[in-house]
Amino acid sequence: MRYLWLVGWREFMENARTKGFWLGIFLFPVIILVSGSLPVLLAKKGVSTRHYVMIDQSGEFAPLIRSNMDRRRESEVDDALVDFARRSPAPAELAPFVTPGSSNRPRASFDLKGWKAKSGSNYTSLPGFSVPRATWLEVPLPPEIQATNPIPTVETQLRPWLRGEKILPASEAAPNPKLFAAVIIPKDYATATNDSAPLRYWSDNTADTSLRDSIQRVLSDELRRREYQALGVDPALIARVESRRAPVTDLSPRKAEGEEKVGLADRLRQWAPSFFVYLLWVSIFVVSQMLLNSVIEEKSNRIIEVLLSSVTPGELMLGKLLGVALTGGVMMSAWIGSIAGMAFVQARIFASAAASGAAASSLANVPTDVLSLFQTTWLLPGFAAYFILGYIAYATIFLTIGSLCNTLKDAQNLMGPLMLLLMVPLFLMPFIPRDPNGPVATFFSWIPIYTPFVMMNRITASPPLLEVIGTGVLLVAFDVFVLWACGRIFRLAILRSGQPPRIVELFRWLRNR
Amino acid sequence: MAQPALELRNVSKFYGDFCAVNDLSLTVPAGCIYGFLGPNGAGKTTSLRMILDILRPTSGSIRILGAESALQVRHRIGYLPEEKGLYKKMKAWSVIAYFATLKGLSAAAARTRAFELLERYGLKDFAHAKTEALSKGMGQKVQVLASIAHDPELIIFDEPFSGLDPVNQGVLEEIVVDLRNRGRTVLFSTHVMQHAERLCDRLVIIGGGRRLFDGTVTEARRTIPRRVRIETDDDPAPLGRLPGVASLKAEGSGGWEVELLEQADPQLILRTCFEHSIRLRAFNAADPSLHDVFMKLVGPSAREASFR
Repeated sequence: MRYLWLVGWREFMENARTKGFWLGIFLFPVIILVSGSLPVLLAKKGVSTRHYVMIDQSGEFAPLIRSNMDRRRESEVDDALVDFARRSPAPAELAPFVTPGSSNRPRASFDLKGWKAKSGSNYTSLPGFSVPRATWLEVPLPPEIQATNPIPTVETQLRPWLRGEKILPASEAAPNPKLFAAVIIPKDYATATNDSAPLRYWSDNTADTSLRDSIQRVLSDELRRREYQALGVDPALIARVESRRAPVTDLSPRKAEGEEKVGLADRLRQWAPSFFVYLLWVSIFVVSQMLLNSVIEEKSNRIIEVLLSSVTPGELMLGKLLGVALTGGVMMSAWIGSIAGMAFVQARIFASAAASGAAASSLANVPTDVLSLFQTTWLLPGFAAYFILGYIAYATIFLTIGSLCNTLKDAQNLMGPLMLLLMVPLFLMPFIPRDPNGPVATFFSWIPIYTPFVMMNRITASPPLLEVIGTGVLLVAFDVFVLWACGRIFRLAILRSGQPPRIVELFRWLRNR
Repeated sequence: MAQPALELRNVSKFYGDFCAVNDLSLTVPAGCIYGFLGPNGAGKTTSLRMILDILRPTSGSIRILGAESALQVRHRIGYLPEEKGLYKKMKAWSVIAYFATLKGLSAAAARTRAFELLERYGLKDFAHAKTEALSKGMGQKVQVLASIAHDPELIIFDEPFSGLDPVNQGVLEEIVVDLRNRGRTVLFSTHVMQHAERLCDRLVIIGGGRRLFDGTVTEARRTIPRRVRIETDDDPAPLGRLPGVASLKAEGSGGWEVELLEQADPQLILRTCFEHSIRLRAFNAADPSLHDVFMKLVGPSAREASFR
């Protein structure tokens, strides 16, 4: 036992001394934090204003599009204002229109219409509120281009701008703006049948289609409206019919009476296991790789011979498993601990903000939900148990592969098929929470190498007790088998040099003695 | 007689049909330096691994320090394998200390011992260097120290001299002699005869997995006839008729090689030359070297093996 510990401790210290280990420990929470807040930050600051020109040779549609783009811009500003007003503390000008959140309605609300009516939409006079930059900005045509020229001529002239070879005059949004898109509406757009004279949308960027889409929507609406009108249908009637939506409310039987509404917390509860599965996968994978590398190092250095003159192969194998499990355990605890810690601190901040009567942000309850998730009885113990059991199986297999190979390259060849098998839980991850006790989930739960991942994924959906125990027993039995079989192979393989043995040979090793 | 440190009885090892070690028996008395000689592929490393119980013999028995298996007495054995390697990221002292703790020393004692050894053998300044930063020779020295850090009774070195420069070979020879002088048993394999000749109290020569010789260096030398080289312009034919002379071979330009029977005295040649007025330009009656013995015993089979 002392030797297990010595081998394990050295293994742990070796890993703990690497930069990768500490980077992993600190980087993970940072990534979580950044990926949580980055989209918000980016939405605020990142996207620069995109400039476009519009040539409407039909003369009918440009005003429609312009008014639509204006509305879009207005709602952009309004959204920013609502966010601003909800953030505590709201400035005095807005305070009368803000209703602070309460225990059953944590979000504060802001009466936008009321404020607009009173202030006349005077955004600029609000202290502390900066009007966000416009996402889309129509600019006038460069003076050398005649909008009335035939389309091919205009387009030829526009190309250098669209390619970024020519730069638009500086605007307040950008010092040297590029032309992002050009919208050209042909003369006979309204009368043309179907595709004979389409709207021509030019842009170097084919990924961001939001301008094109919203123009298409406006024009489709308009063309439909005209057609309805031609058919003698009242447009107001159509608007009324189109505004009809089939109402749906999400309810959950798990919740107390009167609070059945499914909120963010419930969604989180349902998807949290996926997060843990991912964590499980990453950790088992990272840790097993460490093990593989360390065995190959010992083998290719022939340190293994010295070790084997001091400890038995069994002690060596279990010691290494222990050491790397320690590494993984520390990493995992640090990760989960830091997330729980972050959630806790944030929850405290929001709680004190709420207590002081100020409006809580829309995300105020997320940390509390995360915290309550950690307190959910089975999530953490389940994670620990499945981590250990899954780890034993995978780490032992990786260790044995390491013992069969002399170089990392040999090992990678053998790992190929195993990696494919390991990918399966990742592919399954999105499907399991949708039907946690369905046939797919049940089927994969009974395959020992997938049990930890799939059962972890199902853990908050109260799977049948029989299945939990049954798959658990099977997993333990599988672990025992893997330890036994791999111990045998390890003992013979570890001193072998040259090519890895063939599968047939492995079976012979298992049967002998 | 004291209990031998190591005893092999009719040990054989087969890999499938290939016979690596064939019916090998030998006895290593306690407190001596024992050489394990043989050409490449003779079965040296396999034998050593069986002695250490890293490999199991196919048949035969091994007694080591009075035990059935080296694992039972592993704390009393030190081992330096043929291919040298260390944990690259570990510091010199901690490698030595780690292997010593695996041999039963407490962490504190192992640490003290590591620094003590590094200082004694001139590596004090490198104690805190990572082993990957050490030169090959230094790394090997560290490994030697790691194998003796727990002060074992029986030390097994597999090709300890390979890769060391002459100065460090000298240091290693000192270590080996040191160990013997303190009553330890050292078993080392080599194919460099000079080391064996200088160091070994006893030696075994194996070839093709078989034992070809077992005994002292002097006994080894006696296995081949002594030769005397002479140079003369006269006819040395009378020498060929002497009772103690086995053969007389011309080597060209007046050189002759006279092969003596075991009990013959080289002085006889001198006397006969004088009596027959054979004028000698040179007379050289050196003992055969271990190299000659080795070449005679394993030469043909080793040559064959290397071209296989």
